[in-house]
Amino acid sequence: MSALLELDGVRAGYGHTRVLHGVSMSVGDGDVVALLGANGAGKTTTLRAITGGVRWDGIINFAGHSLHRATTETIVRMGIAHVPEGRGVLTELTVEENLRLGAYLRRDGDGIAKDYDRVFGYFPILRERRKLSASTLSGGEQQMLALARALLMRPKLLLLDEPSLGLAPLVVRSIFDIIRAVNESDRVAVLLVEQNARIALELSSRAYVLEVGRVAVAGESAKLKNQESVRRSYLGY
Amino acid sequence: MDEFLQQVLSGIAAGGIYASLALALVLIYNAMGLVNFAQGEMAMFIGGIVIQRIVIRPVERAPVLTLVIVTLGLATLINGLAGFFFGYLPRSFPSPFSVQTVDILGAAASWQDLGVMAVSGVVLVLVFFMLQRTSVGLAMRAAAHNPEASRLLGIRVSWMLALGWGLASAVGAVSGIMVAPILYLEPNMMQTVIIYAFAAAVLGGIESPLGAVIGGLIVGVTVNLAGTYLPGVGGDLQLAVAFAIIIAVLVIRPNGLLGRRAMRRA
Repeated sequence: MSALLELDGVRAGYGHTRVLHGVSMSVGDGDVVALLGANGAGKTTTLRAITGGVRWDGIINFAGHSLHRATTETIVRMGIAHVPEGRGVLTELTVEENLRLGAYLRRDGDGIAKDYDRVFGYFPILRERRKLSASTLSGGEQQMLALARALLMRPKLLLLDEPSLGLAPLVVRSIFDIIRAVNESDRVAVLLVEQNARIALELSSRAYVLEVGRVAVAGESAKLKNQESVRRSYLGY
Repeated sequence: MDEFLQQVLSGIAAGGIYASLALALVLIYNAMGLVNFAQGEMAMFIGGIVIQRIVIRPVERAPVLTLVIVTLGLATLINGLAGFFFGYLPRSFPSPFSVQTVDILGAAASWQDLGVMAVSGVVLVLVFFMLQRTSVGLAMRAAAHNPEASRLLGIRVSWMLALGWGLASAVGAVSGIMVAPILYLEPNMMQTVIIYAFAAAVLGGIESPLGAVIGGLIVGVTVNLAGTYLPGVGGDLQLAVAFAIIIAVLVIRPNGLLGRRAMRRA
């Protein structure tokens, strides 16, 4: 069986600056895959290529369909939820309106209601704050809102861009626990971009390390954690 | 007192027209971050979606100055086309409402004024219902505020912006239909009305739909009362009152009554 998401020789960039020089990787159904690397290695650009936010060539297939020249809207409708860098929370709208937009494409009223209960179960604070403007939320709460909204999209694949960025360790821990719970209960596949390699390797089953736009190391997370070179470069111990 | 009430009533009627047109300006300002100088001219058409698809979309990502020039060109173009096809001679436009008056608390209000008030009221309520209560309206607001994040939620941003133009031109067209019987129908008909609408939108805070409505009513009533009671203003200098309002707002409170932040384009 082929993977849910497959990238082969993907090159992409902005204007004349090429950022990805042929990235190949795959995410299986229900997998959690970590994408690690230093700043500027091309992690965010890889995610942006997948959802059509940047021009690319090469091959990207999702669930057996080529994503070449597909618009972001179409790709999202195929079942990919992308929580971008900076979370993409619509701060001009209320918390509830943000969540409603998560379910914007869905027509199954009962299923939506059930999913609301579920995300409010994960993030009770969002229920309390649902009438407030999303701009009043703290960074951690905005990350929760972005994640909750992505879950309401009922994706097959969740792309997360640095969910731990700028958050207190305790908040990071609880968000990662929820990502794990979601993956286990719904078999949602997750492609996780992280600076915090330690926590990413703990959560994921496989990982790729990007270096200047290429995959430098790939393998099972448990093995990478103990691999000397990865440890020294990305884990810092 | 009767005369005062009467002037307030016709001020509110005029204000309803300004409010509709100001709302159209705000809808496009929110969608594109620019003031649509062709809004007055566009009141002669309902084809906002067509205009957005053909004229605006190719320059959607262009710098704001380009867009401003495009809307100015559009205004000239529509104005010229209207003149070409319909001529520049003013024509009378039959009012759907009777010119007879009805007595309200001692003031004589014309059915015309009351009709205009009712129509603007209904239009404004419909627009607000659509923006605030429907999921299309929610998607339109999202697309206007943050196109990138909205795309990632599956919202077809470009169509939402086109819909914004369509809605704006429909609302603007209603104001045009209501103005026509009061003024005379000719290609430059909206050029004074749009100034009042600018004043209303600026007063309300250029990005607030509710502000546009409140601003429209205030401008309508203020201008009417100034024309009646301030010596020397009369009918001729009413437009100057609108400019005075614009300048005063920009000097004293640039965000307007309900605007949340200084006008800027990121």
